[in-house]
Amino acid sequence: MDEYTKAESGASQSFPQQCSALRKNGHVLIKEHPCKIVEMSTSKTGKHGHAKVHMVAIDIFDGKKYEDICPSTHNMSVPHVNRKEYQLVDLDEDGYLSLMDDNGEVRNDIKIDDGDVKDSIEKAIKEEEDARVTILSSMGKEKAIACKNSTK
Amino acid sequence: MADKLEDVMNNVFRKSEEMPEGSKLVEGYDFNEGIDYHKLLRTYATTGFQATNFGRAIEEIEKMIKKRNEPLSEDNKQKVDFNPIERKRTNCTIFLGYTSNMISSGIRKTLQFLTQHNLVDCLVTTAGGIEEDFIKCLAPTYLGDFHLKGKELREKGINRIGNLLVPNSNYCLFEDWIIPIFDQMLEEQKKGMKWTPSKVIHRLGKEINHPDSVYYWCYKNNIPVFSPGLTDGSIGDMLYLHTYKNPGLVLDIIEDIRLMNNQAVFAANTGMIILGGGLVKHHICNANLMRDGADFSVFINTAQEFDGSDSGARPDEAVSWGKIRADAQPVKVYAEATLVFPLIVAETFARHFHSIKPESSENEEIIK
Repeated sequence: MDEYTKAESGASQSFPQQCSALRKNGHVLIKEHPCKIVEMSTSKTGKHGHAKVHMVAIDIFDGKKYEDICPSTHNMSVPHVNRKEYQLVDLDEDGYLSLMDDNGEVRNDIKIDDGDVKDSIEKAIKEEEDARVTILSSMGKEKAIACKNSTK
Repeated sequence: MADKLEDVMNNVFRKSEEMPEGSKLVEGYDFNEGIDYHKLLRTYATTGFQATNFGRAIEEIEKMIKKRNEPLSEDNKQKVDFNPIERKRTNCTIFLGYTSNMISSGIRKTLQFLTQHNLVDCLVTTAGGIEEDFIKCLAPTYLGDFHLKGKELREKGINRIGNLLVPNSNYCLFEDWIIPIFDQMLEEQKKGMKWTPSKVIHRLGKEINHPDSVYYWCYKNNIPVFSPGLTDGSIGDMLYLHTYKNPGLVLDIIEDIRLMNNQAVFAANTGMIILGGGLVKHHICNANLMRDGADFSVFINTAQEFDGSDSGARPDEAVSWGKIRADAQPVKVYAEATLVFPLIVAETFARHFHSIKPESSENEEIIK
């Protein structure tokens, strides 16, 4: 069930955790979607069988809402979620970002969709300001989620 | 003054009309004769109040059984049987309905007897009446008390049904048993199977494979069991959970109402035996509406009619709807079923079953 990314070191993208150990604002994988838990409630053992955890979670990439129920003693997968900041270099006309990491290596493979973050990036480029772009990555997906001015 | 006295005397000692000929006398059982349980129960008919209704209920069920054992008339034999259940037709289709507490109680054993020996033709019950039968095959129900404190029971993980107790662990066992079956059912659905509550019950009866189970015998004897409210219980909780784990299972209640009503429509004669009220009572009566009323009816429940409920409605109300035939002689016994139902079965079904068994071959097809 664990997938191995091509780019990463070969470590798995998620790890199992007992349902009862999950917490609000933590992460969980629902139907292969990495999500942040926004609501969690437990129903104690009863007529419905084993104690269960009912959660509502939001996909960290597209904001879609997902629900799941899991017996509290079963495991669910928790995705590894990473945030990394890069120096903004450029934005090409197809929407691809040019980013430089702290080692001086440049990558050009992340596309950004229209929205507030793209607007911030375009503004920074236009006004020739230094900017740092935060890239969220999980389960083999990556997305630019923030752009901050870093001019000293 | 003397006139006044005469008036008073005339009022107090008002002359009565002669009782019509053939009027029955009130007569109770004489324990001086010893303890003869069969005679004792027969004497209920002349004891008065609900004992008399008890006696009448026995008579009415005797009529059902007698009718059922009669061979199909030539006319009925000719009729094409559109009833899709493919059950051998009897001359009187007996509907048996009961609320779930009957299965929680020891009445389950009586119901198992009736289905094991194919003595009834169609069952209707609520979700609890289905699941508790299976749960009892996995773990038992215990005797408790009506007055056990809810808070303490909850802390101990024990659920109370009247003065019976069911530990939560029983439901956990049920969950572990049923979820894989739902997974299989979903696979079959993807290959074209259309599930309905009655088909689910038939399948679960097959899966439990236990001689104590009422629905195991229904599966073996092809007795249809209808429960349109199947989701209203632990089974519903399991189905709910299943929609998260392995979504897609669908139950068609429309196909079931077609099947249920046709049990009545294609019957030569019908009898209804209903323990309790609510859905089980109405569902059976309504099906009989499709054939202009049941021929024989017995209601056993504790409900009253003053609130206009269907549960409390007397058989005569059902006559007004066409659910019971106008010329029928239906009976309502105002009694709690666990007290009276085993005794009624003792005097009717069980009596017939045990006295028929040694000799006859003619009824074997029905008993099989």
